[in-house]
Amino acid sequence: MTQAPAERAAAPAIRTEGLGKRYGRRPIVRDLTFHVSPGEVYALVGPNGAGKTTVIRLVSGLAFPTEGTVTMLGKDPQQHPEIRRRLGAVVEAPAAFYPYLSGRANLRLHARLAGGVADERIEELLELMELGPAADRKVGVYSLGMRQRLGVAGALLTRPDVLILDEPASGMDPLSLHLVHRVLRNAAGRGSAVLLSTHHLDEVAAYCNRVGIMEEGALIDEVDLDRRRDRYRARVDDPQAARSALQAQPWILETFLRAGQVIFHLTEPGALTRVAPLLVEHGVGLQELTADVFDLRAYYRERVSAERLKRTAGGTGGGTAGAGPEIGRPGSSRGQAQGEDAQGEDAQGEGAPS
Amino acid sequence: MTALLRMEWGKLFRLSSVRAALVLLLVFPLLWAYAPGIFEVYGFFLVSGFQVPALSLLSSMEFLMPLLVAIIAAELVGMESVHGTLPTVLLRPVTRSSWLLAKLLVLSVLPFLAMAYFLIASLAAGAPYGFDAFVGGTGLGEGGLIGQGTMSPGDAAWELLGAYLLAAVALIPVALLSVLATVVTMNAASGALATLAVLIVMQLLVVFPSLEPFLLTRHLSAYTDPVASVGWVVTLIALYSAAFAAAAVVLFERKDF
Repeated sequence: MTQAPAERAAAPAIRTEGLGKRYGRRPIVRDLTFHVSPGEVYALVGPNGAGKTTVIRLVSGLAFPTEGTVTMLGKDPQQHPEIRRRLGAVVEAPAAFYPYLSGRANLRLHARLAGGVADERIEELLELMELGPAADRKVGVYSLGMRQRLGVAGALLTRPDVLILDEPASGMDPLSLHLVHRVLRNAAGRGSAVLLSTHHLDEVAAYCNRVGIMEEGALIDEVDLDRRRDRYRARVDDPQAARSALQAQPWILETFLRAGQVIFHLTEPGALTRVAPLLVEHGVGLQELTADVFDLRAYYRERVSAERLKRTAGGTGGGTAGAGPEIGRPGSSRGQAQGEDAQGEDAQGEGAPS
Repeated sequence: MTALLRMEWGKLFRLSSVRAALVLLLVFPLLWAYAPGIFEVYGFFLVSGFQVPALSLLSSMEFLMPLLVAIIAAELVGMESVHGTLPTVLLRPVTRSSWLLAKLLVLSVLPFLAMAYFLIASLAAGAPYGFDAFVGGTGLGEGGLIGQGTMSPGDAAWELLGAYLLAAVALIPVALLSVLATVVTMNAASGALATLAVLIVMQLLVVFPSLEPFLLTRHLSAYTDPVASVGWVVTLIALYSAAFAAAAVVLFERKDF
């Protein structure tokens, strides 16, 4: 797990405000506002063509916004190219390197461009990304997965404060995939802000802090996975009484009802041991207490489908069964309600967490 | 900038167009040196090794040399698109202008290297004819190949050096125009073709006599057929080069990748 929200109180490392990009009259990215804090992993997910890559390129300073602003570590990356000393990025999938140079020579070249990196660091990264035996082979003969791993090694060269990666695990076998996600998680653990775009929902759900769901160039929802993790559900004989008892506790962040069960979010996992005694104390019969596992894949599917239905219906949002009027701005409680729908559960309580 | 320049020099000699050009410029003078029908077609025969470089230059500056320079310049920029390495490099703390300036600088030196290599290859091809004093001319000075009497080896060498140097200078804007065209299209083939198209149109513009002194193509052969003073030629070429380079940098600064 990456840094806890309380530890990420510093100013955002990446911030976009009303970010937009048009090619001619065609909008590719629309009114995108989000931020990534130091120590946080933020994943952009969405169908092909949703605009994830364009966002990555806008944020990293490779493309120019037509609306809105981007700041990286408090500065505009276009106006302050020196800020890229603190950036590590892979924006091509597979990562692009000079094919006639070896993996090691490519990293040395990037080290020179980055202003100088010790040879020991290059060797360390080659080992970390399990490229040691292939380090002196020309990149032209590397497999897709090897190129991607070399790309991540290149991004980590300068121990950057900001990591931006477009499909970092594209074309990788399961072992390499696990390796890359572990490396990114560790980088965030050391305080880097990590922004990545991906289709690997199951992997990112395991360690990302927040997930932005994009569709047709817009951020249609933002899921705070930290809030979804330390969440539990209790099957009890009196749900209302149980909820009242729980929501009065300082170690409970929120509670709501779903399908006759009480869902609650703890301030820290250790507080779980207090739940059963508390319910007994309030005369509530506890039948089952279990982790409330959040299904990001199902949530994502539901949100994207709902957005498409909404668009097909004319964009008013009022006439579609799956979407309904609940679809709201990223991070809103309305948006979160859809996730509960996705799991076939009652959204009523989730829409109003206490 | 030093790191960028080193990088660009390293790339230059790995380009397929450079390797092809090296072979072509080596073989081309041999055609003149050993052409069996040269007298029947052109009405002269070679009497000195100094004449081979002159004939090589005269016959290549109209099309072959601009073509090679344009293709190499386009490939040096366009290869970054092909390999996808341009965004990767621009994500380092390197300004766009310094990245492109490194390429422009390397490509400004390229014509001198190309002409030096071509001159050496031509002299080597002409070696069987010897480099002694001879009756006739190099083909580059007064009197052409017929000359004005006996020509000393020193005079012949200076004539060749001056001509090759001026030809190299004239090729600089061709390289920079090719960079500009490739920045616009971000494709090596399109950039090279656009450059050739511009040069061909310029050649046609000689039908407007008032434009002639200002046409870049008119000065590609300034070493043997100057329409103005050497000072004017060099100034005009410098202006063309500066304009093409500045336009390329300005466009590149605002390009999305």
